[in-house]
Amino acid sequence: MAQDKNATGVSIRIKNESSALRVTSEQVSDEVLASQVARGNGAALETLYDRHASTVLAVSLKVIGDQAAAEDVLQETFWRAWRSASTYQPQRGSFTGWLFRIARNLAIDAYRRRNVRPPQMAVMDDADSILDQVADPDMDVAEQAQSLFKNRQVRDALASLPRAQRQVIEMAYFYGMTRQEIAEATGEALGTIHTRARLGLQKLREELKRVEFEG
Amino acid sequence: MDPRQIEELLPFYALDAVTDEERELVESYLAEHPEARAQIEEMSGAAFSLPYSAPPVEPSRRAKEALMARVAADERARASKHASRQPSRRVMRLENIFQAFSLGAAVVAIIWAVLLNIQLSRLQNEVSLLGEALVAQSNSLEQINAKLPQVTDSTVVTISLRGTTARPDAHGQLIADPNSHSAVLVIAGLGQLEAGKTYQVWLIDGGGPKSAGILTVDANGQGLLILSSELTIAEFNALGISIEPDGGSDQPTGDIVVLSDL
Repeated sequence: MAQDKNATGVSIRIKNESSALRVTSEQVSDEVLASQVARGNGAALETLYDRHASTVLAVSLKVIGDQAAAEDVLQETFWRAWRSASTYQPQRGSFTGWLFRIARNLAIDAYRRRNVRPPQMAVMDDADSILDQVADPDMDVAEQAQSLFKNRQVRDALASLPRAQRQVIEMAYFYGMTRQEIAEATGEALGTIHTRARLGLQKLREELKRVEFEG
Repeated sequence: MDPRQIEELLPFYALDAVTDEERELVESYLAEHPEARAQIEEMSGAAFSLPYSAPPVEPSRRAKEALMARVAADERARASKHASRQPSRRVMRLENIFQAFSLGAAVVAIIWAVLLNIQLSRLQNEVSLLGEALVAQSNSLEQINAKLPQVTDSTVVTISLRGTTARPDAHGQLIADPNSHSAVLVIAGLGQLEAGKTYQVWLIDGGGPKSAGILTVDANGQGLLILSSELTIAEFNALGISIEPDGGSDQPTGDIVVLSDL
């Protein structure tokens, strides 16, 4: 759909491509693609890779802190998805939940093996350019926009949490630290860590609901 | 462990940060306490969003090439295994068919061939129509890709957009390099409009609002618009979205549902 409106002598060319973008991004769900991967369809795996590789790599990089090692985890994650897609059960949760869990566990294992970098409890910095890294020419434009949109929604939701609650959630999720390990690392009482984790997840959920986040 | 202690573990179970022993305890507890399962579902929903908190990072081409080469080799290995099993089965089946049927099979085959011909002709027509649709789709995507380099520069900024009191749930972002002439608008929380109405986007500078296009939203109230202008985005002061008659207006006439400074 194209529209030219020029009320004041300024020529503005518009392209509204939302429907075309939706067609490319929503033609086949992740779950359907996963069932095709389970039947040995490499093209289906490639589509899933194009959709989710940037998020898988982001999680790995956040945990490990090294691009080359994170890319190894990225490859291993999708290789496991290729070999084990038949074990994925849609009724137990989304494909991305399953995939990201594989990535996160592999990344934590790699981090523990390397053990060269302490967990970085980075505070969300709005000055970070979230767009620096998104220019993968193979990625679907709509998927890029959606990834950015989701990233911003979750970052904003996390940023709305008190720092202490956010820290507990990040230590547990991204570094797989148990509550005892977090209590030790922060010097706080175990009860305090319990409360922070519970309140943090509650508030995060409320914020995500408020902005209508769709995972 | 008493129930209170197990409930304290639930957030860590949702975050997948428990020991194997703790996991077993929680899972036994969940099996007997449906109200705890509801809590876990809520907490897990929040935990599943966490991967998106890390800014997406573009993998190198090498990573994808290495993975797909490994997958292709595996596909070939599976295909060759499958093929090596095929001939003996096929030969056996053919022998059985020849023994069981002769003339009758030939008649059935002729009828089948006629039906296939009719079906083939219908499919050819459908393929032709799909081909035309694919060409149109490719053209649209090429136009978008041509714009993409302008929005991937490191100077790109994201501006949050908020709904007005007329549509307080509306929210979105404008992604743009302020010195460029294009931007990506992503919006959510806009309801579907009655027939004959449409959303229209406006870029506003000292000279007033200038139409930036008609915005289509889907059933979930989400829409995406790629716009370009002869003025740079930095020269505009604000962005607005109003409800207008179908086809749009020269100036805003209906309710303003989004208005944000740039």
